[in-house]
Amino acid sequence: MEWKISSLKDLEHYFWRCTACGTCRSAYTFGPPPFAKPICPAGHEFGFEGFYSSKGKAAFARGICDGTLTFDDPEFVDAIYRCTICAGCQSQCQVDYKPHIPEVIEAMRREAVLAGAGPMPLQKNLIQSMKNYNNPYQGPRRLRTEWIRPFKKEKRPIKDINKEPAPILFYVGCTGAFNLTARAVPTATANIFQKLGLDFGILGEEEICCGSTAMRLGDAEEFKRVATRYLEMFKMLHEERGVNTIITSCAGCYRAIKKDYILSSEYDKMMNGIEVIHTAEYVNRLFQQGKLKFEKELPWTVTYHDPCHTGRHLNRFVVDHDGSQLWPGAFVDRDESKCLYEQPRKVLQAIPGLKLVEMERIRSNSFCCGGGGGVMTGYGDWAVRNASLRIAEGMETGAEKMVSICPFCHYNLNEGAKRIGSPMNVHDLTELIDRVLPDKA
Amino acid sequence: MTTMPKESKVEERILKELTSIVGGKNATTAKHIRYAYSYDMSFVQPKLPDYVVMAETVEQIQEVLRLANREKIPVVPYTAGTNIGGLCIPERGGILLDLKKMNRIIKIDPESHYAVIEPGVSHGQLAEALYEHKLRFGWPVGPPSASVSSCAISHGIGGLNARYGLNSQEITSMEVVLPTGELVRVGSCAINEEAWHSTLPLPKLDGLFKGWLGGTGVVTKLGITVHPIPPFLKVFTVSCDNVEDMYSYMLNLSNYEICDDLTAVSWWLAQVPIPYPYKPKPDGAPEWFSFANTNSFTEKEREARVEIWQMVVEEEKKKGTSLNVTQYPEEALRARTQLPSQIVGSTKNYCKMGGAGISWPGTFTPANKWAPVYREWKKLLIGHNLSPSVRMSMYRGVHYGMLRAMIPFNKQNPEETENARKAIVECLKVDLDHGGIPYKPPIDFGVEINKRAHPGYLELLRRVKKFLDPNDIMNPGKLGI
Repeated sequence: MEWKISSLKDLEHYFWRCTACGTCRSAYTFGPPPFAKPICPAGHEFGFEGFYSSKGKAAFARGICDGTLTFDDPEFVDAIYRCTICAGCQSQCQVDYKPHIPEVIEAMRREAVLAGAGPMPLQKNLIQSMKNYNNPYQGPRRLRTEWIRPFKKEKRPIKDINKEPAPILFYVGCTGAFNLTARAVPTATANIFQKLGLDFGILGEEEICCGSTAMRLGDAEEFKRVATRYLEMFKMLHEERGVNTIITSCAGCYRAIKKDYILSSEYDKMMNGIEVIHTAEYVNRLFQQGKLKFEKELPWTVTYHDPCHTGRHLNRFVVDHDGSQLWPGAFVDRDESKCLYEQPRKVLQAIPGLKLVEMERIRSNSFCCGGGGGVMTGYGDWAVRNASLRIAEGMETGAEKMVSICPFCHYNLNEGAKRIGSPMNVHDLTELIDRVLPDKA
Repeated sequence: MTTMPKESKVEERILKELTSIVGGKNATTAKHIRYAYSYDMSFVQPKLPDYVVMAETVEQIQEVLRLANREKIPVVPYTAGTNIGGLCIPERGGILLDLKKMNRIIKIDPESHYAVIEPGVSHGQLAEALYEHKLRFGWPVGPPSASVSSCAISHGIGGLNARYGLNSQEITSMEVVLPTGELVRVGSCAINEEAWHSTLPLPKLDGLFKGWLGGTGVVTKLGITVHPIPPFLKVFTVSCDNVEDMYSYMLNLSNYEICDDLTAVSWWLAQVPIPYPYKPKPDGAPEWFSFANTNSFTEKEREARVEIWQMVVEEEKKKGTSLNVTQYPEEALRARTQLPSQIVGSTKNYCKMGGAGISWPGTFTPANKWAPVYREWKKLLIGHNLSPSVRMSMYRGVHYGMLRAMIPFNKQNPEETENARKAIVECLKVDLDHGGIPYKPPIDFGVEINKRAHPGYLELLRRVKKFLDPNDIMNPGKLGI
């Protein structure tokens, strides 16, 4: 299987399209009223231009390519990992650099890994864990299915898809499986599926990391190892176990399968006949089709946090590769139709008694929780500090709860709330759905 | 690939002192941090600062300048680095003083119509805050993240220039740290520390810090006039086949002083983006477009303005000019009337097609010289395979206005960058010979200005600079003296 993963050199033309104008530094809309807010977690935290958004990253990339900046400088290596790769800057950029911004950041990290300098020490532990345990949490295989014990106990077993066929694979993800706080997510998801009477199964102890973390940290080889295995497995599951839908509640896994796996030359062949869908999207679809109703009341005032992975990371950019529309490499347009902005909101608004109040920075201008891009592992303090900024923004809305659809955001934002002593709890959307769905939906 | 910035020499002793002033997180000699400050959008060759310092208080700036003055280390004040004249490129290395953390809007006085801001306040930030009071400022066609203060003190222009003049004319008071570290105030705030409403009737000492390209001190607080937002906007759009006809229309309309912004752009600048390299205008397309923004408080006022405009149009048509009431290209119009704008500010308008580079002959030129200068510029620029993407704007009356050509280029390629530089400098010489004066000038321009300057002017400039900055530490070299 061949993978089309760009080197920094491949992208040189694009980061030379950055005009260094700094528009990427803040989320801005004319309105009226005008709206201008910080969008870059790293810039906000560290301040120097190099840390700021896509402008700073273009400077680093140029410095690597002209030989000024080298990976034998540990401070520089550290700097390229001080970014959540949230793509908030990408939402602001208007020039041909735009479609390639996260790719440039990851390509720099890949160069650092190839040079033996990256990732950062704590992140190296994570990569090593992937190699040893097939997950980033150093979790033994048997712990991956700990969360299903209550189901077994309550005689509501969940199918092991390796043993029994099912049309739906519930792809759990490592964070939901191993992170104690985030275990609420797969639990609620499985509850929902059972209430809906879906025929689904899980990979159980055969599930491994999707590779998202390795890709974000620049370890392309580790990513390719797990992604290749998965593409082959998905094909097998489709042909031999009847799987035609993969549902996940994990934003990171969703993004990886939808956006990183397509870098494989075999993607279309391997995924033929399989739809990959996020739980929020799936539930909203059923709701729109009139196939489910929320009957119980949930008198909460909530605000919704758009995760980067299910939001702007799913943008599709139209690039004029051959110059037939504008000029070679021109950024032509952005297609947001695959971003999950509407679906979770529609589900929330359908919950009886629930009031949704919006923060200022939402959808493509969502302010990252601070945990992405390996930051939660590499720079835990900063990740939590940033999360507390987001919690504070949520509190300004008057909401008592924050809702999201990413176990990573779920964990980090809750940590952020604790840090500032905020009473705001962060819930995954699945938890709310589980509460309001009748037992026999 | 452009030229790599030259390495500089840093002293551990100096870094230690800087760290003791601003804290370890805010002072560095790390090469990757310095590299990001070594270039901008312009053709100016990259140069590395030796130290980068982020100040958070006025006192820290004072201490940094005292240290720099004692050690004779250059200091380059920096907010967003979005100018297109290389004004923040550290010609002689030294300390890059990043002020973006000083971004408080200290006061908005909705009754007296002024605001007091720190240097790091951006256009987007201030626009948002002023809108709550239904107030506005002359937003330039720069990025929303660019600094209000830096634009104003550098004689930047904004979208209200036909009504109120340059943004530097909107300055009401200043607090400044001198290169020797003393804190001074000019304008009403010098007499009463709470009063930031006017530089008059005192001697206009604000002139010591405006247009000096950061060469005479660090402005730490700025008072600026702000204005009510009239609810009724009307944009008059016309086109002409030649620059003379457009000038005639603008001159006529500006006599009535009904516009906030009265601007014309050549066909090449009306495109989003500017074509790079040069491409001919399609046959039959007008060569010039104009937009004129008027804002009115009542519908009746708007109707009166429309009446005047229609009268001007009729008069121009009777003269036999090629004037036509027309549609301005939609995205370009949005970019210029909905300010601050990500379309223009991101340089999508300017250099999306060229690639990273943008610079200009940006000038204040007598309006009656616009047409002859444009014709020469057009020849020169096309000769360099560059689009004659020229803008003409009236400033508060008809005496003079902005004449500039936005020149995109491929900054990744040194030959293309040098081609643009040469063309721009040649254009500038033409304009200077017609009585124009460049604003926010790169050093190449400063040299050309000074060649033509009255010796008494140059001597005065030197004396004032020496008086304020005895060791020539503030952004040295930029004035070309």
